[in-house]
Amino acid sequence: MPDLQKLYDAVLNGDQKTSVAITREALDAGTDPMVLITNYMVPAMDEVGRLFECEDYFVPELLLSARAMKGSLELIRPLLAARGDEPVGRVVIGTVKGDLHDIGKNLVGSMLEGGGFEVIDLGADVSAERFIEAVQTKNANIVCLSALLTVTMPSMRTTIEAMKAAGVRDKVKIMVGGAPVTSQFAEEIGADGYSDNASSAVALARRLRAEATA
Amino acid sequence: MRLSLISCEVMFREMCDVVARSPHQIDVQFLPKGLHDLGGKPMADEIQRIIDAVPAGSCDAILLGYGLCGNGLQGITARHTMLVLPRAHDCIALLMGSRERYLEYFNEHPGTYYRSTGWLERGKGLKQLTHNTVGMDVSLDDMIAKYGDDNGRYLYEELTRYRNTYQRLTYIATGLEPDSRFEEEARWEAAEAGWKFEKLAGDLILLRRLVNGDWKGGDYLLVQPGERITATYDGSIVRVEDIGKTAGAA
Repeated sequence: MPDLQKLYDAVLNGDQKTSVAITREALDAGTDPMVLITNYMVPAMDEVGRLFECEDYFVPELLLSARAMKGSLELIRPLLAARGDEPVGRVVIGTVKGDLHDIGKNLVGSMLEGGGFEVIDLGADVSAERFIEAVQTKNANIVCLSALLTVTMPSMRTTIEAMKAAGVRDKVKIMVGGAPVTSQFAEEIGADGYSDNASSAVALARRLRAEATA
Repeated sequence: MRLSLISCEVMFREMCDVVARSPHQIDVQFLPKGLHDLGGKPMADEIQRIIDAVPAGSCDAILLGYGLCGNGLQGITARHTMLVLPRAHDCIALLMGSRERYLEYFNEHPGTYYRSTGWLERGKGLKQLTHNTVGMDVSLDDMIAKYGDDNGRYLYEELTRYRNTYQRLTYIATGLEPDSRFEEEARWEAAEAGWKFEKLAGDLILLRRLVNGDWKGGDYLLVQPGERITATYDGSIVRVEDIGKTAGAA
């Protein structure tokens, strides 16, 4: 049985090779995959988020920790799926129509995966129709909309309106973010939440899930 | 009129041209293009600081040579003197001469980098106003040196992938260029990156009307003392808000 504290450290330090190796060893030794996630990987990602918020970690460190976590999750997911375990939530994420910026969106997606969510990434320049289709076909609980330009922020509004018209708005919680986006704007367009960084987006997604399932 | 213009240096040549031809007497201050990289509240705070340093009674209006600029003008307040700014998302719309023309071009050409004289010659070799925590401009070698071979390559790929989604570089020529050097540099940059090059004729009408005091119609926002600028995120781009109201999140 490997020292599982090393899994926590590997995720925290963005060491994918080690996190994958320890995960494989632990699974071979019969450790419950859920224990690896809940007791080691999610707490490590929470610590990564904390370090990011107090500016000890920056975007590169966030990306590396998310990468380490993803590597382990690739081994664990099939096992969870095989025994019918559900993720914390299913997130459809994308940058809205007209906007090609995706670094922030990718980061939020990675952090949500690190937080135990299943993430369906639609990419950038995503039309309202594609968001709607994904919600309908992927059984999603949360939709994350990203925009980096004030020019494309109106696309967030039209996406939400199109979701309403298609009758899928109330099936999901909607989160918005991106450099020029504000909580006031989120409220105005009828989103359920706004976050100004990738780390607090995870906390927001968890809160929205908790509210929806309460 | 006596006017005071506070403008981004990215429109240095264009502003100098229209100011020289204005019937009014205009004091001009150019602020660093780097404010754009700070964005949002830090940018607005700095512009507000410069506005507040204009002595009361020294001019009839303070002109802002800016667009909304990624919320960089959000919350800016008129204290003792009226502020006037063009309704535009950014300097590209100002150089194109119309926010409608910009929106149309933007929608038809996603993934476009824009260049003008100011974008080519300004802000290079200046002191960076923001430390680059995202690492988007660093080289592969720097990344490998800092994060090791495997992680360094991964980060470099992640942080530069956005470049592949751009397909076009559009150079806006305003007719003020002394020779072909700017266009040649823009063409070279596009060729280097494998982007399609397009040259677009700019139009300084929005800048000219700003400094000429021709603010009628819907193209300018006039912010009276006691009001502040707030973004609308629709076709009007900005509106005024009474400072008595609670400030929206900036």
